Amino acid sequence: MAFQEINSKMVQATVAPGQRLFSQRGAMLAYRGEVSFTPNLRGGQGGVMSMIGRRVANEDTPLMTVEGSGTVFFGHGGHHVQVINLSGDTLYVEADRLLAFEGTLEQSTVFLGSQGGVMGMVRGQVSGQGLFTTSLKGHGSVAVMAHGGVFEVPITPQRPVRVDPQAYVAHHGDVRNKLSTALGWRDMVGRGSGEAFQLELSGSGTVFVQASEEKL
Amino acid sequence: MDSGSVSTRGPCSVHPWRGYFRSVAMFRLQGSKVLAVDMTQDAVKAKNGSMVAYDGEMAFKKLSGGGEGLRGMVTRRITGEQMTVMEVRGQGTCWFADRASEITLVGLQGDKLYVESSNFLAADAGLRTGTSFTGTRGASQGNGLFTTTIEGHGQAAIMSDGPAVVLRVSAQYPLTVDPGAYVAHQGNLRQSFQSGVTFRTLFGEGGGEAFQIRFEGDGLVYVQPSERNTIAGDV
Repeated sequence: MAFQEINSKMVQATVAPGQRLFSQRGAMLAYRGEVSFTPNLRGGQGGVMSMIGRRVANEDTPLMTVEGSGTVFFGHGGHHVQVINLSGDTLYVEADRLLAFEGTLEQSTVFLGSQGGVMGMVRGQVSGQGLFTTSLKGHGSVAVMAHGGVFEVPITPQRPVRVDPQAYVAHHGDVRNKLSTALGWRDMVGRGSGEAFQLELSGSGTVFVQASEEKL
Repeated sequence: MDSGSVSTRGPCSVHPWRGYFRSVAMFRLQGSKVLAVDMTQDAVKAKNGSMVAYDGEMAFKKLSGGGEGLRGMVTRRITGEQMTVMEVRGQGTCWFADRASEITLVGLQGDKLYVESSNFLAADAGLRTGTSFTGTRGASQGNGLFTTTIEGHGQAAIMSDGPAVVLRVSAQYPLTVDPGAYVAHQGNLRQSFQSGVTFRTLFGEGGGEAFQIRFEGDGLVYVQPSERNTIAGDV
């Protein structure tokens, strides 16, 4: 495992020759050893086409490549950091929540409209995700940022989970999501309970929820 | 309505046809910032929009005027102690959190909890909420002259900026707190307002602790490790 949690807001990563890490630009706090930080103009993996894709999709968080041998400490903005280990499955997360991830993971941009058509696009707008989100696939670990700590909710076929779109952080596994609305006449006259839109996740996997309704 | 009874999931523990044997929502903390409530067809009152996730089936309904009827609604409007509350009813687990505030659980056995409406997160639907006059304390806290009361048997969750400490007040040991750090109190307490204004304060050389609230009697006071912006904090 490349990431080790030092405290709730800081992670330590070990880099060895031949093992690359990607991290959000400027998120390095301290390092030991011979480590080089190269700004990654393409904003992640893939070729020029991936870069253009990310630019167009507005999922181009400035990233840097971390290489060498030593240990690096990462943290950003005092946000809580959660390390998620992936073993072959896909993690969906917003690009600006990515603190650092291992180079072994395959990064790509997903069009939300491809998961549920028009409702997928509406969902992206409501949850502030935009029309695109980032996916990471493969074996390795990811450090994800959230406001105020993260808790995991398991999703099983019998028990779908509904999440406040603003408190949603990331999910992995074989999960279908759709935006469910509980709009009633109360919401129309400004007397809603503030829970009109919910992200419904069903299938099997895990969803990560933060203890706050604030976006990063 | 017995707060000591443990409500378990499953059909055999709930008898909806027996009115006196009602199940009570189970409050538990998940970490220090997330409140998980297990419900079996019962209801809780919670701050509007504080749900972050749920499984099972839940319905959310805003309670106008804090669910205290027309009289309560008018009182809240007039006193400025407005609290937007929703009723959550259903079966399953519901998670609540608000702006990463720390949460403290308070068990009530027929006594009354006084809490600022901004610090209220959730309470059992069986608890009565209301408004009460605080006197001069409220003005120094920057929260207005009124506060919210929660009364009955059941559990409530309050929020604070940083983990709240619970301080016991007894007849021999009265307690004095900073108005900006006060969160809530319960029990049989008298409160009085103290001012340490001296000529130094008038010259802008005060210690920043010109006003304090003094609690006497027998009860508990919840204090947060952070101070709200108050008039008292400036002098």
